[in-house]
Amino acid sequence: MVAHLVRLKLDLLRNTLRRSRAQTIGIVLGLLYGGFLVVALAVAVAALRGTLDSARALVTIGGSAGIILWTLLPLLAFGSDPTLDATRFATYAVPSRQLAIGLVLGALVGLPAIASMVLGVGVVVASSQTVWSTITALVAVPIGLLTAITVSRWISSLATGAVSSRRGRDITAIVGFVLLAVILPVSSFLGESAGDAEALVRSAAQVLAWTPLGWAWAAPGDVAAGELTLGLLRLGLAGVGLVAAMMLWDRAVRAEVQAPRGSARVRSKSAAAGDLGVLGRVPGTPAWAVGARVLTYWLRDPRYQVSLMMSPVAPLALLIPYYSSDLAWVPLLMGPLAAFLLSWSEHNATAYDSTAFWMHVGAGVPGRADRFGRLLPNVIVAVPVLAVYSIVGVWIAGRWDLLAGVVGLAVALLGAGYAVSSMMSIVLPYPVPKPGESPFQTPPGAVGMTLLAQTVSSIATVVVAAPVLVLGLLAWSGSTWAGLVALVVGIALGVAVAWFGVRLSAATYDRRAPDLLLALSE
Amino acid sequence: MTDQLDLPAPQGAPAVGPAIAMRGLGKRFGDVIAVKGIDLDVPRGSFFGLVGPNGAGKTTTLSMATGLLRPDAGQVYVLGHDVWSDPVAAKQLIGILPDGLRIFDRLTGLQLIVYAGLLHGLAREVAQARAEELLAALGLTEAQGKLVVDYSAGMTKKVTLATALIHAPRVLVLDEPFEAVDPVSAATIRGILADFVAAGGTVILSSHVMDLVERICTHVAVISEGLVLAQGTLDDVRAGGSLEDRFVDLVGGSTEVEGLAWLRTSSD
Repeated sequence: MVAHLVRLKLDLLRNTLRRSRAQTIGIVLGLLYGGFLVVALAVAVAALRGTLDSARALVTIGGSAGIILWTLLPLLAFGSDPTLDATRFATYAVPSRQLAIGLVLGALVGLPAIASMVLGVGVVVASSQTVWSTITALVAVPIGLLTAITVSRWISSLATGAVSSRRGRDITAIVGFVLLAVILPVSSFLGESAGDAEALVRSAAQVLAWTPLGWAWAAPGDVAAGELTLGLLRLGLAGVGLVAAMMLWDRAVRAEVQAPRGSARVRSKSAAAGDLGVLGRVPGTPAWAVGARVLTYWLRDPRYQVSLMMSPVAPLALLIPYYSSDLAWVPLLMGPLAAFLLSWSEHNATAYDSTAFWMHVGAGVPGRADRFGRLLPNVIVAVPVLAVYSIVGVWIAGRWDLLAGVVGLAVALLGAGYAVSSMMSIVLPYPVPKPGESPFQTPPGAVGMTLLAQTVSSIATVVVAAPVLVLGLLAWSGSTWAGLVALVVGIALGVAVAWFGVRLSAATYDRRAPDLLLALSE
Repeated sequence: MTDQLDLPAPQGAPAVGPAIAMRGLGKRFGDVIAVKGIDLDVPRGSFFGLVGPNGAGKTTTLSMATGLLRPDAGQVYVLGHDVWSDPVAAKQLIGILPDGLRIFDRLTGLQLIVYAGLLHGLAREVAQARAEELLAALGLTEAQGKLVVDYSAGMTKKVTLATALIHAPRVLVLDEPFEAVDPVSAATIRGILADFVAAGGTVILSSHVMDLVERICTHVAVISEGLVLAQGTLDDVRAGGSLEDRFVDLVGGSTEVEGLAWLRTSSD
């Protein structure tokens, strides 16, 4: 059974390479990109072998951070892996213990796990000062990795359960904000005390080494430093931690298999007869119809709500470094950041339609109606958000002289983002959760393409807006004229780029709409 | 392919060309050739049944005919308009009910139908009036304010049919329109389609229920493994026998069940 689950995961991984050529190229590039980063990091870790002191501190902190990342993973964009969702196996008579073990081992066959294993090899190399420390590392690193993955599976089963209800969704969102609010001040505190960074790292490592996060990672260093008893104690504690995590996970699997949750559907109340909702309150053209439909989906589909809630609120995070340290200029970025995030969030918009997109293809909707219509709700939200954040940011930073530059940069980023996103959502759509699925699930095997599309969209947006970025920097460094020029150029560039970019993507749409539908059906 | 030249109906003359003409249509998916060169004429005013076993290429063929799936070879003409070189004109003439594709099911029934109308460029007042008539005809008036995601499978089929009808198409292309539909609703749909054909429209539908096709269709084509095995009027194709017998003859394959002895529990 366990072998079956692992084989299932391998098959799914291989099948992702059997898509269209463009998508395969995307995946391969994504893999190369990610693989390069991971290998470089692993080599850096292995290089710590020469300096025992730094190795002990950094490996403990890095390993603990790894476990935290694995824990947060199911709550963030990469999402829980639906193929490993225990509920899916509820109809098969699989003993729950075997299922629990199989699902954890299945999770090992995935890009995040493979990346972690490569880093684990780096840790083993870094800890290979003596024979005994090497042996300890060979035991401790797998324990650490398995703990991370098991805890991650456990959290994801809790989270998927929670998201199934509307109340749960709200709670998850609140937890997300709280985490954000906690992590940012901590990181800025760390940044502030950069002076005695070394002492700080050392004391952080010492604290972590006595928590479940650090047990496994600290043990090899202890042994290498000659503290054999301490090392063995921590190794034992790490083993106990792994067993505890597995028991929690096993219990969650048993609960899910015995009482699988129903489909997560909140029954809506019925609209009045003849009530068209938003569709009845906009001009009756195809473009506005598309816009009104997207807006209706924003209100009714949780998949949109997760990303939509983040974009207008995320700029508030810039206030944290402002209040916790002396970075007075940071709030100036609030308007431009909001503009960037809002327009960037459209870069995979078509994929959320899933195969329902056939209605646009079958009706022969002109590319201009589809492309412009899709952006309308975003524009309606973006314009006031951008205005408010630009003014508030300038006001907090006390730099009214920079208002023109800030607004210019924000408009330029918004326009560039629309142009790039409109094109990217035709050229490189990547799989997203299907309608009705949890917004935290990521379709299997899409991580590489997701990374590639997101990276390309961000870089392209910034590159297109670069001239205004330069002008903005000049204005900040004291050139009064540059601010006004940034305003004029920013608005002109933003509007022109958005106009021509979306026109270009509309032409592409007219040629490729059926091919896009095919890509969305896979 | 010799008759390709005279496909579009002569200008100004009475419309005589086929409603849908497929010429050498082919499609491959990776190593699998799903459709191997289909030539098919759907006469104007006909009620055309497309039958074939599972995996015969019915859905692939209909998707290519409606502009949803790009063919690797061949042409499709709808009332003389090439679907793939003049898609805008052709798509205004077709109403589509696909099988296995989603719809925008977070809209209410009424919103979905009006949305389809607006996508086709109808004025909103016209779209809303027509949508309400369609809802009434299909018995969905009560459910018009509910989200389509909360509909049953049969109701979903009916509301999708309404989206195919809203722009008053001249040709209806329906993939498995009666699947999951209860007998009463099926009778309603048959009535609507019969009226549509009586008024000069053309319907092509796919099905693997032979009885149904035999009962309602005037013309029929049998396809299997991506090829047309027979086409023509119902009487021509069934040649005296029943459509089901003829179908089994053409498609081949034995109806005798071998093995599975363990499934016959009465044997012990």
